[in-house]
Amino acid sequence: MTIALEAASLTKVIGDRTIVDQASFLLKAGEVFGFLGPNGAGKTTTIRMLVGLIRPTSGSVTICGYDIRREFEKAMRCIGCIVETPDLYRFMTGRENLEHFARMLGVRNGEILRVAELVNLANRLDQRVGTYSLGMRQRLGIAQAMLGDPKLLILDEPANGLDPAGIREIRELLRSLAAERNMAVFISSHLLAEIEMICDRVAIIHRGKVLREGPVDSLISSQKAMEFRVSDVNRAAAIFHDLGAPVIKPAPDSDVIQVSIAESEAPPLIAALSHAGVDIYYARPRVQTLEEMFIEVTGGETVG
Amino acid sequence: METMFPALIQNETLKVLRRRRFLIVVGILLVIMTLVSYSQYRQLKAAQNQNWRAEIQEQVARYENRLRRGGINDSWARSMRAEVRRLQFYLDRDINPRQPTAPLVVRTFANAAGFLLLPLLIGVLGSDIVSAENAEGTDKLLLTRPVRRWKILASKLVTLWMFATLTLIVGAGLSWIVSAPVLPARGWDAPMFNGFSFAGETFTVESVRELPLWKDALIAYGLEWYALIAVAAIALLLSVLFRSSAASIGTMLASLIGGTILTRISPDWTAGKYLFVSALPLADYYSGQAPPYEGMTMMFCIGLLGAWGIGALIIAFVIFTRKDVFG
Repeated sequence: MTIALEAASLTKVIGDRTIVDQASFLLKAGEVFGFLGPNGAGKTTTIRMLVGLIRPTSGSVTICGYDIRREFEKAMRCIGCIVETPDLYRFMTGRENLEHFARMLGVRNGEILRVAELVNLANRLDQRVGTYSLGMRQRLGIAQAMLGDPKLLILDEPANGLDPAGIREIRELLRSLAAERNMAVFISSHLLAEIEMICDRVAIIHRGKVLREGPVDSLISSQKAMEFRVSDVNRAAAIFHDLGAPVIKPAPDSDVIQVSIAESEAPPLIAALSHAGVDIYYARPRVQTLEEMFIEVTGGETVG
Repeated sequence: METMFPALIQNETLKVLRRRRFLIVVGILLVIMTLVSYSQYRQLKAAQNQNWRAEIQEQVARYENRLRRGGINDSWARSMRAEVRRLQFYLDRDINPRQPTAPLVVRTFANAAGFLLLPLLIGVLGSDIVSAENAEGTDKLLLTRPVRRWKILASKLVTLWMFATLTLIVGAGLSWIVSAPVLPARGWDAPMFNGFSFAGETFTVESVRELPLWKDALIAYGLEWYALIAVAAIALLLSVLFRSSAASIGTMLASLIGGTILTRISPDWTAGKYLFVSALPLADYYSGQAPPYEGMTMMFCIGLLGAWGIGALIIAFVIFTRKDVFG
């Protein structure tokens, strides 16, 4: 498998603040990669370092084998991107915008119609971008990023401003690009459900550090937990604690308690509970959603 | 697959035109030149039934009286004395220096507009050529293409220079178009006297050259073009330094107007001669107007503008190619 993007120990220090701290991750061709983090976690700074807008204090970015500092032009030829908002020239038409960026790439004009059709914008190309809705600008941004057949797409919040149908369309487009063209797609998002649906792998960034990185299902299954509904949560928590089982949420106001153990480790805990006279109404395995894992990993901070 | 430089210039040109900046510049020039040619027309009408010799002689006498009374600063006195000697020179040769013709309006445009109007217009064109991309967020796309940053800035610089040149040409063309129908259109070969020089307090006519108007105009426009190229470089620097278009245009206008005021009110503060604004009216100095400070020869002014322009470009390129682009 070829590596489309490699970030190695990316660090950005401004003054005495470390905005991004030793962030490392890998993107393979044909893979959709999700980049998750609350606001102010260093997501945008990281993306800006990936595309050469911000110079890292230390660490390196390699795109399709080219170091972004030493071989900027070759590296950038492999990238199509939208950083933060899809800002295009509002005083020009969609077509003029695409022609503008096609010229910078040395790409044929026939490409313009192809990418415009890809995002369903071909019939609005001759209107000024200032008259576009946010969703249309987002799609024009993606069309622009697709010019020149990049091997890596970097999209910041691509679902922003799209209606549910538009989101589905983009999701299908991105999946098919990854599957059929073996493109690598890097997506940052605060829509966890979206990331969970579309991404193969996820990295979670919080306070400038990449806390987890791995395949979506393994990140979730590695967080397997059992959920017990019992008559006395506090006693159950104490018993689990004595047995060395890690309690996730000793929720005092409910009668449900979660323990991060595999199913196979459950019987001794159930036995211990009955022995102590704690009634068990049910015990069931629960698959953590990405959102729950995210909140746990980042210490309860909400996203977006 | 190297990106061609002309393609980048095509992009930048398209953006300047689509932003309608150049349209505004042409509009301003049209309004001003119409007013100028109308006032020249009135003057022509007035001059026809007047004895110009008497009028010029009266003006000379007025200046001499003012000089005798004293109490004016050195630089004013110097230029007043020069004006007296210049008028005397025309009187001696029996040439009416104030007979307006269309070629004269075109020729005068280089001096009159070159000193403040054209630099202001170049400021309007150039000061947001980079900062507008910041303000509109399009810099994120522009700088993530496979084109080195220095090439992008260079394409903006060349585009700005092209529009500065075009502004000068359009200004000259408009001044002809609005004045030719109402003023005498002949006179491209009328004699022009230039090179009145000052050796201390003594005025010398030995260095005066007589040139046909068209040749004289070409030299004045050439000097003006050089000054505008330097102004464009400074406008580019301001555009790189400021994130907002308003701030960079504002700073450009303030430094042009502020610098001009400074050279007028504090001619004793001799360090003022190193301000680029002091050297801007190259065409005026060529025509014989005394520069505001001692020791400002034509070569000094040309060198000073060159140094400012090159300095501004070095700073602009270093900052632009190294800066972090935040949101």
